[in-house]
Amino acid sequence: MTETDRIDPAERPGPPDSSEPAATAGAAQAQSQFRRAWTRFRRNKLALASLVILAALIVVAMIAPLIAPYGFEEPDYENTLAGPGTAGHLLGTDLLGRDLLSRLIYSLRTSFLVGFGAELAALLVAIVIGLMAGYRGGRAEQLLMAVTDVMFAFPTYLFAVLMVAVLGRSVGAVILAIAIASWVNMARLTRAQTLTLMQRDFVEAARAMGAPGVTIAVRYVLPNAVGPLLVAVSFGIPAAITAEAGLALLGLGVQPPTPSLGGMIQDGISYVTSYPNMLVWPAVMLAVVLLAFTWLGDGIRDAFDTTGTRR
Amino acid sequence: MNLAVFAVRRVARLVLSLIAVSIIAFGLLQLAPGSFADISNLAAEESSTVTAEMQQRYGDEVPVWQQYLGFMKGALTWDMGPSYKYTGQNVEDIIATSFPVSATLAVVAVIIALCIAIPVGVFSALRQNTPWDYGSMFAVTIWHSLPPYLVGTFLMLLLSGTWHVLPSRGWSGPENMIMPVIALALGPAAVMTRYVRSSVLETLREEYVTAAFAKGGARRLVIRRYVLRNSLIPLVTVAGPVLANLMTGTVFIEWIFGIPGLGQYFTDAAASRDMPLLMGTTLFFAVILMVTNLVVDLLYGFLDPRIRATAGAR
Repeated sequence: MTETDRIDPAERPGPPDSSEPAATAGAAQAQSQFRRAWTRFRRNKLALASLVILAALIVVAMIAPLIAPYGFEEPDYENTLAGPGTAGHLLGTDLLGRDLLSRLIYSLRTSFLVGFGAELAALLVAIVIGLMAGYRGGRAEQLLMAVTDVMFAFPTYLFAVLMVAVLGRSVGAVILAIAIASWVNMARLTRAQTLTLMQRDFVEAARAMGAPGVTIAVRYVLPNAVGPLLVAVSFGIPAAITAEAGLALLGLGVQPPTPSLGGMIQDGISYVTSYPNMLVWPAVMLAVVLLAFTWLGDGIRDAFDTTGTRR
Repeated sequence: MNLAVFAVRRVARLVLSLIAVSIIAFGLLQLAPGSFADISNLAAEESSTVTAEMQQRYGDEVPVWQQYLGFMKGALTWDMGPSYKYTGQNVEDIIATSFPVSATLAVVAVIIALCIAIPVGVFSALRQNTPWDYGSMFAVTIWHSLPPYLVGTFLMLLLSGTWHVLPSRGWSGPENMIMPVIALALGPAAVMTRYVRSSVLETLREEYVTAAFAKGGARRLVIRRYVLRNSLIPLVTVAGPVLANLMTGTVFIEWIFGIPGLGQYFTDAAASRDMPLLMGTTLFFAVILMVTNLVVDLLYGFLDPRIRATAGAR
């Protein structure tokens, strides 16, 4: 056990405080859960550093047109296949003389857009269906079970590739393909969380006071399920980014000339023996993004891990 | 409830899932621009031969469900008709020649992964909370979060791009296998190392291990005879996820290293809208995945009597 894993006894979640008025207990508990998690998260230096790096990269991606020295398809025929440090091209250029730094910055844009977009879309569907399946059971539950059975039989990537073959290669289509391939697990998680939370006293109290089902689900159950969902999302975003880069690598991602890390890697592989510089930057950038997300996700998971045990 | 009934139920579910997968895949491809029998993207002379054969197979203007039944009948009788892109070759022949390539990659990768996972996992558990343990778990986290294609890319950068010791692409000799199998093995190795470590840690806390030590058993002997034997059996359960991981991995690894395996043909079929080949490879992948999962389930039920006993309850 490391320093960061240790939990102060005061932070250990006890049974819900029965002296609290039942109606506000659900919301209050959700709020304090976050404060505790943040206190624990802050002590994990690796996770904190990852958060800073990712935040910086996201800002870079958002203001890409302002900071990229060139456009992503702006050729410089005088300087094709230039090495790093060439005047005017910090990281060098590709075989059309396009500035690698600029393409890298715009690629980050594609990665984050698809990563966050797909995960957000998957999350919305998963929350609605998972809550309904957990709270109501019935048709939503049957639907979820049937879809789960089929999706387990379907290798996720094959499904995403088929979806792209159907939907085309726009950014929206790639987001949709990845979201459809990945919402099921999150829905199952939401359902499991809902089932557990429904046993809690504050839900029982709200129901006794006559709150309608939707109110209970949205105001009392959902806020308390946010922790585990946040953990799932923090691992789902890099998975979506990996999927996007993978599709692009196969030539099935976002349509060129829009740059993406996977597409840049595909370009670089063709010239790896003669000009490895084209391959280094996108590969390193993708590795940095994925590792930062992993450490961030580990940090969030440990912060929300109420039992405090870790194998 | 005995194992036989459990097996029959699982097989029935497998068949149902397969039908669902085939309908979904076929339905999706129908929606794709350029439907199943559309070969407008082929050159004229190629398309005329394929068209003739497709018409003979499916007829003109056949309703979708008959096309589906026609394809499924072909799939079941191992006769799926010509590929659009690789003219002159039938889908089943392409699968028959490319699958052994992918299978070789996957099997070698699993062996490498086991050779890494078992020693590293066991040592990390025995030296829990030492720098060795932290170091190897840190490395495992890194391998776990990088997809095989990225590991492959780094290997290629290093060994082909920088040191020029291995060919970057192709499939002509054993030297072509080194980077692909390492790239494929590291992800599963990470999963299994974690699993072995926690499994050994758990077994070490068992009372029979304490008892064996209390009797004065030598450390090596107790670990070999009691700890390892009991903690490595559950490793069978990760075979399912590992296989899915490998299958996805081969698609990308074959693509970047230019290896003529099943994954390469799947990707190619998707990119060139070669519908019969795409359907054929998708179904084949799904069958492999499902059958392996079934075998793992049965094997595990066989190895663990507790599951045998409760199999009926599931």
